[in-house]
Amino acid sequence: MTTVELTLEPLRVFLRQMGDFLPRLAAALLIVLIGWFLARAARYAVVRLLRAVNFHVVTERSGVDAFLRDGGLRIDTAEILGLTVYWLVLLGALVVGFNSLGLAYVTDLLVQVVLFVPRVILAVLILAFGAYFARFVGQALAAWCRSLHVQDAELLGRLAQYAILTFVVLIALDQMGIGGDIVRQSFLVVLAGLVLALALAFGLAGKDWAADLLERWWPRKRP
Amino acid sequence: MTSTNAAEASALEQPDAAEQALWYKDAVIYQVHVKAFFDSNNDGMGDFRGLTSKLDYIEELGVSAIWLLPFYPSPLKDDGYDVSDYHNVHPQYGTVADFKLFVREAHRRGLKVITELVVNHTSDQHPWFQAARRAPPGSSKRGYYVWSDTDQKYKGTRIIFTDTETSNWTWDPVAKQYYWHRFFSHQPDLNFDNPNVLKAVFRTMRFWLDMGVDGFRLDAVPYLIEREGTSNENVPETHAVLRKIRELIDRSYPHKLLLAEANMWPEDVRPYFGEGDQCHMAFHFPLMPRMYMAIAQEDRHPLVEILAQTPDIPEVCQWAIFLRNHDELTLEMVTSRERDYMYRMYAADLQARINLGIRRRLAPLMENDPERIKLMNSLLLSMPGSPIVYYGDEIGMGDNIYLGDRNGVRTPMQWSLDRNAGFSRADPQRLYLPPIMDPVYGYQAVNVEAQERDPASLLNWMKRMLRVRKESRAFGRGRLVFLKPGNRKILAYLRELGDEAILCVANLSRSAQPVELDLKRYRGRVPVEALGRTSFPPIGDLPYLLTLPAYGFYWFRLAADAPPPSWHAEMIVPEESPVLVLFDGWVSFFRDQVVPWRMGMAEALYRSLESQVLPRYVESQRWYAAKGERLEATPVKDHAVWEVSERLSWLLTILDVRGVDYFVPLALAWEEDEEHVRQLAQSTVARVRQQANVGVIGDAIADEGFCRNVVKAIGESRAIAMRRGTLRFTPTRVFRELAGEDFAALSVGSLLAQSTNTSVTLGERLFLKCYRRLRPGMNPELEVGRYLTEVARFANCVPVAGAVEYATGEGEPATLALLQAYVPNQGDGWSFTLDYLQRQLETARAGPGDSYGAYVLLVQTLAARTAELHRAFALRSGDPAFDPEPLGAADVEGWKARVREEANETLAMVRSEELQARRGQLFALIDACAAPRGAALRIRHHGDYHLGQVLVANNDFIIIDFEGEPSRPLAESRRKHSPLRDVAGMLRSFSYAKWSATRSGALDAWERETRRAFVDAYAAAAAGSGLFESFEDVAGLLRLFELEKALYELRYEINNRPEWLQVPLAGILAMLEEEAP
Repeated sequence: MTTVELTLEPLRVFLRQMGDFLPRLAAALLIVLIGWFLARAARYAVVRLLRAVNFHVVTERSGVDAFLRDGGLRIDTAEILGLTVYWLVLLGALVVGFNSLGLAYVTDLLVQVVLFVPRVILAVLILAFGAYFARFVGQALAAWCRSLHVQDAELLGRLAQYAILTFVVLIALDQMGIGGDIVRQSFLVVLAGLVLALALAFGLAGKDWAADLLERWWPRKRP
Repeated sequence: MTSTNAAEASALEQPDAAEQALWYKDAVIYQVHVKAFFDSNNDGMGDFRGLTSKLDYIEELGVSAIWLLPFYPSPLKDDGYDVSDYHNVHPQYGTVADFKLFVREAHRRGLKVITELVVNHTSDQHPWFQAARRAPPGSSKRGYYVWSDTDQKYKGTRIIFTDTETSNWTWDPVAKQYYWHRFFSHQPDLNFDNPNVLKAVFRTMRFWLDMGVDGFRLDAVPYLIEREGTSNENVPETHAVLRKIRELIDRSYPHKLLLAEANMWPEDVRPYFGEGDQCHMAFHFPLMPRMYMAIAQEDRHPLVEILAQTPDIPEVCQWAIFLRNHDELTLEMVTSRERDYMYRMYAADLQARINLGIRRRLAPLMENDPERIKLMNSLLLSMPGSPIVYYGDEIGMGDNIYLGDRNGVRTPMQWSLDRNAGFSRADPQRLYLPPIMDPVYGYQAVNVEAQERDPASLLNWMKRMLRVRKESRAFGRGRLVFLKPGNRKILAYLRELGDEAILCVANLSRSAQPVELDLKRYRGRVPVEALGRTSFPPIGDLPYLLTLPAYGFYWFRLAADAPPPSWHAEMIVPEESPVLVLFDGWVSFFRDQVVPWRMGMAEALYRSLESQVLPRYVESQRWYAAKGERLEATPVKDHAVWEVSERLSWLLTILDVRGVDYFVPLALAWEEDEEHVRQLAQSTVARVRQQANVGVIGDAIADEGFCRNVVKAIGESRAIAMRRGTLRFTPTRVFRELAGEDFAALSVGSLLAQSTNTSVTLGERLFLKCYRRLRPGMNPELEVGRYLTEVARFANCVPVAGAVEYATGEGEPATLALLQAYVPNQGDGWSFTLDYLQRQLETARAGPGDSYGAYVLLVQTLAARTAELHRAFALRSGDPAFDPEPLGAADVEGWKARVREEANETLAMVRSEELQARRGQLFALIDACAAPRGAALRIRHHGDYHLGQVLVANNDFIIIDFEGEPSRPLAESRRKHSPLRDVAGMLRSFSYAKWSATRSGALDAWERETRRAFVDAYAAAAAGSGLFESFEDVAGLLRLFELEKALYELRYEINNRPEWLQVPLAGILAMLEEEAP
């Protein structure tokens, strides 16, 4: 073996390794590129599909879009879902790409992210339909109360709507696995407080009435 | 109707045998006394030849049968009801041959003949009685009558003629026995227990039936048979006799009639019908006094009560009803208290009373009040049964209560004011009874001759009523249903037969009365007044309100096929309009605006809107041009939801109706807003429901809110983006001035539908006209209106306040609506002229000379206004669309060429030999129209000028509608032309007015005079305007344009109204005539 050979050996090894690696890199880049195209196509398709089935009407009516607009976003829920799908596909492509490069850690990390995205989608859907449902129930209740000439019909409707909305948000958060226990517990605290408040309110305000009622049902002494 | 017509009519109908057999159910019977009708041999007594000669009168009256009082040989002690020979005619009335001739002549005129069968009794002069009294007791001949040795038999029997008779038994010194008689003592009763008597009766019946008699009135039928221990009325054996008589009829003489005279309560009369196996008809005696009582008491109760007590009769049977007859107005069938009341009301004079009744005729009973007489007749003709009219009552004859017995109502028929009332040429003292001669009812005042000539007479009224009654079988055969309105002075009832229904309403009181009728069952039907054939507003959900004058009455046909009156605005949503189920207001229709799970519903809704709801609506609208075709679909080409507040929103649509665009704005009203629903009810497109809410979708033009917001949007120059195009609201400079500040509070009037547009008024200030059909291009009405208001300041047009236009970006925008000032007016010149001409024709005052002066004066004003309009158009304003241009020879040649072309086209269409023959002359006339030699102008002009385009206001005219002819493109009406085209149009319009008023030549003079006045006044007013040098110079042009217009009319009439073809044709021929040397 000559010195030259010796000195060239690492180079040759390097080149051989490079020769092995470069096609894989190229393949990975190609995968990512195709993934990017697919992601764009998927986003376009999802947005079109959602529009075709009038998903935007649901989010508009439920107030989610208005909420987003108030928050300064210039896109509506359908487009958010499109974007999520876009990232889902793109991340999928990256996972495959990195995997082909043998970068296990990066792949694992990305898989975590990829697995999270569907939850986001589901949460958005729950939020959209849940908010619509909340508004529907609220309006129906308000209309019903109005027809019975109940005072504060609007208020009662609003209360029902926000109560349902709270549940919906909780379910959505639960779906995403965010907050978990703390959210659940704080909700319990709020609910317990509310029930206690109501119990106190009715108990204090209606104690005479309750006493009369009890007196009527089970008189203490018969004359 | 002449007899030949009647024969043709009956031949056309071809009633089958079963129907023919029931002729008496629809009959109107004329009761006549041979001796009282007409005397042909001048012996002072009427006879059959006389009666035959007056059959035309009876036929013309419109009755269908004649009932003759007894005409048999008789001593005439009871007006012929004492027959002394059953098989002959009383010699004073003529011979059997005369009778046969009478029957033949009556049948030739479609009149049935009913005679009397008086078989309860005979005269004591009858050979049977003479033989019986001489025959030994117990013999067959004696057995023809009822004999007794004592007058104590049959004690329970009442005496009928209480005024003259004391017993039903009379001693016969020859027979040495008492004989039985229910009526006068000279009328012994036949013994129907004797079979020979019945055989003899059958012989009599066959004798007359074989001669052609169509029916018998069975006199005094309840008294045929006597039984001890009964009242001797209606005994069961009597019915057995009747059944035998009916058997004879059914067996040998089908289609012949038996009419029972049984003066009984309805429940007692009912057995005389049997089960359809006894008499066909029977008199309804108790109904008659109750009609009088109802009027006297001004309360419907007596009538309703007696008809409620009237039992049902077999299908083939019929009641005979009457107001008066040859007997007294019998009060047997009323309670004694009612009788007292009737006596007090109708026979205060004791002389008028006889037996248990009143011997007066209808007119004197009604104190000769024509309204009451008519009311009574209307009741008679519409109550269930076949009515009988007593001779003379059709002209309101009077009576003479100072004549003995009931002769006062049997006086000679009053034919004329000649001697003996035209009844006989005999010496007055020879008459069987003197005619009525008092100043009120005397024959000089009341006679057929006078009433035939007076169109408003009772006689002519009766003829009309009988004609109307004939139009519907419901009068004779229909079920009677009483309505029970709260006002008891009103008698209201329905006569129903199958699907047919006649509503009769009568005011029994002497003052005007309102009534609210519950006609819910006939909801949606249109009451058509039977005498005048006027349509009344359709029956809705609310009680039907009618007001009746004193003693007034109405007969309505509740028609399912008649259109409601044209001016009627529907206030109630028609039930048959389709129902759309919405879920989210207007949004429900649009697939892309609903939540995902509603998309299918939205699509279905939209489909039904496009393919069912809107096509049905558009089809029924006057503004839709192609009428009578069924539209499959009207795709919505463009739409927008115009929302001004949460509760106020409209769906504006542009519909594609067979390639033509129409503007249809829709409004939605919910039930809780009743006023809103009512507004839309007159233009309902569909009914809607959204959950528990129901409402209607209607044309938004009828919606007050819409109209106000259109005005508001015009004021604010707003624009509404539609899906494809844009709706632009633009005001003119005078908007503020015309609309004022408070236009939002103006009340919106009801919808006016014209042939091309729909319009509403806002207060007395604005007029919103919605064009339905989209015609791209500058709307001349807007353009001209603007020019005349803003530039020329022409006072006699309607100022324009703004417009609504629709633009898609491609092509020119189209005008959808125009906002104009409202001009108070008395209608358009066309209806004004027609009214005037109708009045002229009716009063027939129009002689030669200046009798049309008032109208001519107006026409001169019209001509002056026309000339002023043309002067306004001749102004030079710098606007190329309006500046006048010189009229050159080339223009005239161009016009001529066009008229020639149109003449060719027209001649190819028209099939008038007269016109074809003068073809050459027509073209020569066109060629001869010389171009003006002096200077003349071409200007903008009206383009479709006729009497319908001017409004009459305070003896002045407002010129409207600058749209041009609707069938021509807009650009054409904007072209400049000679102003004489307008003059020609107006001249043609005069000709149309004349023809519309009458097809006779009665108004030729009017047309001539009006034309001359118009042309002269126009020439004078246009002089010096520069429009032309002198009127003579352009006379040729005027003729050319008149011809052009007439040719256009000819083409139009061929295509649309062939029956009007004569009008333009006559115009053209007259023009050719004028030119001919």
